[in-house]
Amino acid sequence: MIRLTIDGQEISVPEGMMIADAAARLGIEVPVYCYHEALGPLGACRMCLVQVEKMPKLATACTTAVAEGMVVHTQGAAVDKGRKGVLEFLLINHPLDCPVCDKGGECFLQDYTFRYGPPAGRFEEPKIQKVKDGPINEFVLIDQERCVLCQRCVRFMEEYVGEPQLLLEGRGVETVVSTVEHRPAQSQFAGNVVDLCPVGALLATPYHHKARPWNIERQESVCPLCPVGCTTLNTGRDGRIVRVEGRPVLDRNWGWLCDRGRFGFDFAVSPDRLTVSRLQGHDEAAARATRQVGQWLEQVVGQYGPDSVAFVIGGLHTSEEAHQLYRFATEVVGTSRLAMSRQVQGYLPRGLNGTFEDIAAADAVVLVGTDPYEAVPVVHLKLRERWRQQRDLKLFGVAPRTLGRETLPVDTLITHVGHEAHVLAQALARVVPDHPAVAQLAIQGDSGFDDAATLAQLGQALVNSEHLTLLWDGVEPEVESVLIALATVRGAKVTRVLPTWGPSNWRGLERGGFPARLEALTQILKDARDGKVQMLVLWGADLLREYPDAQLVQEVYQTVPYIIGEGLFLPLGSESMRAFLPEASPGEMAGTYINMEARVQTLTPSVQPPGQARPTRSYLNAWAHSLKKSFVAEDDWDPFDDESGDLLPVEAIPATIAPLSPVSQPSGEMELATGVLVMENGIPSELLRSRKPQALARLSPVDAQRLGLSAQGMVRVARNGEELRVAVTVDQAMTPGRIYIPLGVPSCPVNKIGTGVVEVARLEEVHSA
Amino acid sequence: MTQARYLLRNQEIEDIDQFEVYRAHGGYDALKKALAEFEPEAVVDLVKRSGLRGRGGAGFPTGVKWGFLPKDGRPRYLVVNSDEAEPGTFKDRELIERNPHQLIEGMIISSFAIQARQAYIYCRGEFLRGYEQLSRAVQEAYAAGFLGDNILDSGFALDIFVYRGAGAYICGEESALLESLEGRRGNPRLKPPFPAVAGLYGMPTIVNNVETIANVPPIVTLGAEWYTSMGTEKSPGLKIMSVSGKVNRPGNYEIPLATPLRALIDDYAGGMQPGRSVKCVIPGGSSVPLLMPDQLDTPLDYESVLQAGSMLGSGGCIVLDDTVCIVKASHRLVKFYREESCGKCTPCREGTYWMADVLERVEAGMGDEGDLAILMDVADNINGKCFCPLGDASIGFLVSAIRHFRDEFEAHVREHSCPMGEKVYDTANY
Repeated sequence: MIRLTIDGQEISVPEGMMIADAAARLGIEVPVYCYHEALGPLGACRMCLVQVEKMPKLATACTTAVAEGMVVHTQGAAVDKGRKGVLEFLLINHPLDCPVCDKGGECFLQDYTFRYGPPAGRFEEPKIQKVKDGPINEFVLIDQERCVLCQRCVRFMEEYVGEPQLLLEGRGVETVVSTVEHRPAQSQFAGNVVDLCPVGALLATPYHHKARPWNIERQESVCPLCPVGCTTLNTGRDGRIVRVEGRPVLDRNWGWLCDRGRFGFDFAVSPDRLTVSRLQGHDEAAARATRQVGQWLEQVVGQYGPDSVAFVIGGLHTSEEAHQLYRFATEVVGTSRLAMSRQVQGYLPRGLNGTFEDIAAADAVVLVGTDPYEAVPVVHLKLRERWRQQRDLKLFGVAPRTLGRETLPVDTLITHVGHEAHVLAQALARVVPDHPAVAQLAIQGDSGFDDAATLAQLGQALVNSEHLTLLWDGVEPEVESVLIALATVRGAKVTRVLPTWGPSNWRGLERGGFPARLEALTQILKDARDGKVQMLVLWGADLLREYPDAQLVQEVYQTVPYIIGEGLFLPLGSESMRAFLPEASPGEMAGTYINMEARVQTLTPSVQPPGQARPTRSYLNAWAHSLKKSFVAEDDWDPFDDESGDLLPVEAIPATIAPLSPVSQPSGEMELATGVLVMENGIPSELLRSRKPQALARLSPVDAQRLGLSAQGMVRVARNGEELRVAVTVDQAMTPGRIYIPLGVPSCPVNKIGTGVVEVARLEEVHSA
Repeated sequence: MTQARYLLRNQEIEDIDQFEVYRAHGGYDALKKALAEFEPEAVVDLVKRSGLRGRGGAGFPTGVKWGFLPKDGRPRYLVVNSDEAEPGTFKDRELIERNPHQLIEGMIISSFAIQARQAYIYCRGEFLRGYEQLSRAVQEAYAAGFLGDNILDSGFALDIFVYRGAGAYICGEESALLESLEGRRGNPRLKPPFPAVAGLYGMPTIVNNVETIANVPPIVTLGAEWYTSMGTEKSPGLKIMSVSGKVNRPGNYEIPLATPLRALIDDYAGGMQPGRSVKCVIPGGSSVPLLMPDQLDTPLDYESVLQAGSMLGSGGCIVLDDTVCIVKASHRLVKFYREESCGKCTPCREGTYWMADVLERVEAGMGDEGDLAILMDVADNINGKCFCPLGDASIGFLVSAIRHFRDEFEAHVREHSCPMGEKVYDTANY
């Protein structure tokens, strides 16, 4: 530790720390533009000048490392003049258009000028003129005149993200931030430059000229669009969210968002959103619809008993709503039929669930099925940050397709579809063949993966790494068994898993009382098919889109007399529903979300629910009335735990290791692989329309050529007599013999045919006249 | 002045840029001697003992710099800075255009000394002739077995790459040069780490000026004592001074250090042109403060010039005569820095722009009374607050000019015109 004095206060900090960070620890503000802790020192803006005793000149606090016995002054005549000078320089070519600037009122150039700047300008020469409101991409504008050339945006994209799509052009005072070859910056992390920009140069197009800071309030919330649960600041105005910004949390995250989360907020005002109650296929007044459902509920319970009602939760509900529904179902209705609809079949025991700190501390990371870049984008950034710190980080993937990319090299073991568990177990068995946990896996069959050297490398990483972190997409459920075996084999060495599937708050729904395992849902559906369920309440659940066996769901929808839906959007098969009730979305009510770390995070509403959309408790209170029972939705239930703080209580890792099913090499030419993609997670966004891929399915160039497809085309994917018709694109990263279609896209539900061997044929494109 | 040349040998020997001519006059003998008689460490020691200092401007002892390389087995690079773009300095240009083999020879010896296997010449983009000469000379050295594998059966191997910059003054700053050489935007890097520790591609790198390296062969041939017999104790040896301005024989002159400025102007450069007298002198390239006529007896060595209030710098000696408007000269120089500021740091980028605009206005007769105070204050806000030396360089001349010629600046404002205007424009060979 290094001891130094800043403004008379002594502090000890680790060697190598910059003066600016040491001062921040003392609560002393050193103004900066170019410096950002995640990006490291640059020294360009010269705003952070401080006086260091025994140094002949003022020093920049962001580039000067602390030294033993150093005495620093962040105030005084020399520092004040230095700061005044720099601010005056920054202002000479800065346009005085604060009154029409989106950042006006929340701008560091304004703030620092007010605090440290000269009272009046002396510059009387003509200002340099540059491009105003030029495009960075469809979501980000640049006003080059306002830019202070701090380079945060350029360095973020080039170094941190590794997608160098922004650059500095020109020299000296003519320097501007621009895009490479003036093409739009297509990275899904490009939106972060708006938050990084300390002035009004980089602006979010959807928020352009929408509000002034004194008209709005920014609410601390959480992005609901994927299980990462990025912390956000939401800006509401005139009943709708108009802006989402990243919210850094000290020592936990930098506040990065992906563009899906940053600009996908408009799902709440999507034209597809249902804001009116539907009864028997017609729009209906909220009170009437609610009352009618309550009467049906009363009749069903009265006639067939409480267990004839089943509740299935899903979608974007908060943990609190889940708990209220759980209490209503068990206490008021008295049913034991509860289940959850999730995107995937796999389940992760809490005992194995890791946090993002397990990425920051990992010496080996294994991606099982999941490509974080597409599934949980901000986790990709966290992985990349770790990889940049530690270049010998071992990164493996086990999946039917390549998971690595230029910004994060991954050694992927390409498996047949559904063989991830088997190949992981093979790798484990190669290193510790005689371990009882491995024996319990009962590895049988031929996965066709016989690359001994690669298996051994993966096995070594799995068994011998000090801190192993796995990311799992949950598509192949038997992986759970291998993960438990792995943790057993590794014993005291850290083994942590991060689940990358949705719905984003599935852990919160589980915390609220609903069983998350698929078996519970399957049991309800089978019982329903067999006539044991008279009323099926689908609370945000879209079974035809999510449940792996669409056939079974269809049968249930034909059988159950009362199907009551609730949600933001009409689900598939809604014509079978007696009633459909509009849901309040996460930005419209208070509550908590529990993310893939099993971390509880708080949502704060920014706007009121539109139209007839209601939070869960409004419906429950009305129905309790119909059932003539008392129900108070508000109680002292709190998802936070006294011991574990904002993480869910730690549980033991399960002891039983289920044997794996035997595998065999698939007999067909093509296999259908699937996974969860954040862009294609079924939540609509008009703003993001340009970012959605034109074609859903992906094929290798080899298969494309065999099928006679050019870069894009249509194919028919068939299995068991069912078929999907889907637009396909040629993807260099795909392995021959696999076609990839993301899970849960309403227009192309993979669960209609299921994964595995399929027939793929090219469809002739029909050109409209 | 007729005196033996050791660097600008082209001034004595015709066609020494040709390989055969260079060889016939003892060229590459120093290399043979170094490889045959010296251990690498001994060459470093020899250069240390010679007291040779960096000729690019900073004057840092070359041997000491070489000694900074960490001994950790990583590859090392020698990079020769031939991005000579300082107004008033044109010595490296003559060396690479007229005597390129001496640089190549010096590079091979220096690379041997620091055990570099690859060496680069970063050639200023505008020096097309110099680039062609260097490229040819490197080819000839390969053909003669002085480059490539196992040079002269010594087991030492070296490749030299000649890289042409794109024309930016900032790339003469060593870390910006390395950025540019790596294919990036020519912006200076944060120091530390210094290039000797983490330079080209993050590897230990020595960046030396052309003239510095050209001194190495004669030092090897004639010994450290020969070198220290010239100049002063702290500034030994030879320096090339580029003399420009209204002197009779402008050009490059190789002088023993500590030669008086007056001797350089009068004896070497043939004195002032008829009817002209010295108004002031910029002794070390456009980045340094001026010296007044009463300082002409200043010996041209690093310490003496510093003591006189200026710097020897790169040795670009610009003699301003009595017809020169000091405001116009200031504007011309500040405008250069405004054009060449890389834009990375705020004071340099904005300050040079501001000063150039004010000076242009004052020179055009549109100045007002506050302008001089603004110029001095802007200069003060640049001084010592920039990322790299370019910002400080932009104010060196201006601040000294205002200090010494305040009357002339004030006259521009008072008379709303340039008092020197006509004189400047009617000079015969302007």
